[in-house]
Amino acid sequence: MSQYFAGVDIGSTMTKVVIMNQAVLASVIGPTGPEHRKLANRVMEEALEKAKLPFDDITYVVATGYGRINVPFADKQITEISCHARGAAYLLPEARTVIDIGGQDSKGIKLKDGRAVDFVMNDKCAAGTGRFLEVAAEELGVKLEDMGKLSLAAKNAVRISNTCTVFATQEVVTKLSEGAALPDIIAGLHEAIATRVYGMLRRLKIEREVALTGGGAKNIGLVKALEAKLGFAVLVPPEPLLTGAIGAALLGGDIVKEAEEKGTPLPRAERRLQEATLFT
Amino acid sequence: MTEEKKPEERKKRRTATEAASRIGPMVKAMVGEVMQAKEEKKPIAYSFICCCYDEIIRAMDIVPHWVENYAGICGAKRDAQRFLERAEAENFSRSLCTYALCGLGFDAWREELGEMPPESPWGGQVRPTMMLGSGQMLCDPRNKWFQAAQHYMPDIPVYDLGLPWPPYESDYDYRQVQDYYVKYIVEELKGLVQFLEKHTGKKMDWERLNQLVELTDKTWNLIWETYELRRAVPSPMGTGDAMNTMVPIVFMMGTQQAYDFFQDLNKELKQKIANKEGEVPDEKYRLLWGGGLPAWFALGDFNYFNSKGAVFPVETTYRMIEAIYNFDMDLTKVTDPLEHIAWRWVKFWTYWHDRARKRPGSHPDVERLIKYFEDYKIDGIVMHEAFSCRSWHPGLIWQLNLLKKVYRDIPSLVLESDIVDISSYNEADTRARIDAFIDTLEAVKR
Repeated sequence: MSQYFAGVDIGSTMTKVVIMNQAVLASVIGPTGPEHRKLANRVMEEALEKAKLPFDDITYVVATGYGRINVPFADKQITEISCHARGAAYLLPEARTVIDIGGQDSKGIKLKDGRAVDFVMNDKCAAGTGRFLEVAAEELGVKLEDMGKLSLAAKNAVRISNTCTVFATQEVVTKLSEGAALPDIIAGLHEAIATRVYGMLRRLKIEREVALTGGGAKNIGLVKALEAKLGFAVLVPPEPLLTGAIGAALLGGDIVKEAEEKGTPLPRAERRLQEATLFT
Repeated sequence: MTEEKKPEERKKRRTATEAASRIGPMVKAMVGEVMQAKEEKKPIAYSFICCCYDEIIRAMDIVPHWVENYAGICGAKRDAQRFLERAEAENFSRSLCTYALCGLGFDAWREELGEMPPESPWGGQVRPTMMLGSGQMLCDPRNKWFQAAQHYMPDIPVYDLGLPWPPYESDYDYRQVQDYYVKYIVEELKGLVQFLEKHTGKKMDWERLNQLVELTDKTWNLIWETYELRRAVPSPMGTGDAMNTMVPIVFMMGTQQAYDFFQDLNKELKQKIANKEGEVPDEKYRLLWGGGLPAWFALGDFNYFNSKGAVFPVETTYRMIEAIYNFDMDLTKVTDPLEHIAWRWVKFWTYWHDRARKRPGSHPDVERLIKYFEDYKIDGIVMHEAFSCRSWHPGLIWQLNLLKKVYRDIPSLVLESDIVDISSYNEADTRARIDAFIDTLEAVKR
């Protein structure tokens, strides 16, 4: 009988669920709401429908991301560092370093034999994360998803000198009033994030190949800016947002396999997608 | 008003050793002694740790008031913010050392009120008789803090002690210049003795000073031997406890109390080793606290590490001693107490120089990490980057990178917050990082 594994990655802005056996059977990406547990319930349901599987058929569920503790039906919680590492190593086996630019943090992970052996993380400051672009996009009246393409038309990227997101936004307004072209401003913003992320990464010995994951990897302008800093091209998985969820599902598979080999019992949560509230 | 806010005190951290659990009351008693000294009109000196003058002031019956300690107490009680804000209101930059800011904010407030600020932790920081700076190569606030404090206490005299040591050069033996350094320090210490005699009206008791210097040497040896016991597997004591047992090292040196404390700890650790009793029941990962002062308001994070089976058998922070008998000279032959103190200082700071010269591209600070790594069977390294420290902490990342370059790639975790300023700290994020680090340790072990 086939075994199925679910990975639930609740990030600060997006929630991702995948169901796998030998490959990804179904995936769902949706915005994270204030009540992660309720949302996890719904997206899991949607993923099960897509995979045409009852919840009872899921062998193991691993939750990851910032909201991982708020997933009542998860069998285990694993950090996003481990899940991203496992997911990136699966999707891009040649990767030795992973850069993940998420909505709330950015991280660099060193890989060895498909596992994280060192990492750096910026979770202190919005600069260097997707939040920086979100705030700027709102100020510029541009859709977040359009920023990458728009920046490719830049002729002379402006320099955003403030590293603080709030002040950088003010700087953007000033640049606009000075007549700077929109693509040049957006390219400047990408450059600012890339500089910040690259500074953080220097704590790791960056080894090629480098995989870029998270929402940041969907922004072509940011990818280009980061490649310019690194001096070489990065690898981007087909759906970079799913890397952590895929890693979670794979780690679930590893856990089950190990338990079966050792003959050790494996506690599992009840297979019930019950609604939960944050304050019970 | 923000200044009036008094946050709830945190629950006491759980310690592994009985000795470490006695430290809280000892510190409280130490602060109480300063209060008592004030009432009895005894001379009180604002003092810095690692200052070279521990025995000198004790030989002259001057009561030290450890200002860094007081700021740490405010931080640990999560009651530093109102003093930091007060310093900020005095136009001190928020990017200065938060020990200094806390102390200056407290002093400014106390001087304005003419009494202790309301509900000051453990009674407060008393107005001193004198202030004894000792900075130079350690950090700049240790020179500037007391000068700034004179804005609020212009009548309080300051003596600023310079304590250099030969810097490390890979192609140069420091022994060629060490005599000059010792000579300089001796002159500085002589100047200090004159200053103290002038402001206390009392002469130095040189015989007593000799005895205290000898006691300090004995204590250094005992501390080194005691901490070396932590090499045992499982390790009987971790850095969380060492952040308590640093108190006799840095605040009580030159006292019988410090020596007795480490005798007790030594016995306790030997007993634990005999019983195979580790800091945690199931020791999985042995970590090196590779630098950085702790976030005093978050010492519970050490317990969090423990809950994952991780222990810290060794740390560089506050291990400010070496065994005197391991130095490359016989210090017992230096009979002049000021010269003795100066040599001890120079030998401590140059202790790792020779090892570094043997490994191309290395540095004494990195050699210390490597030695601990090997001696204590370490799996990974953790550092704490305190944003407000501009001297030691920024160099930690450099040390970490150099360690990986000249030695080997090892799992590392850099925690980020501050020593006193709680606004820099996020418990959930910190623990998420610790979780991820534990995962990487596990991955490496596989």
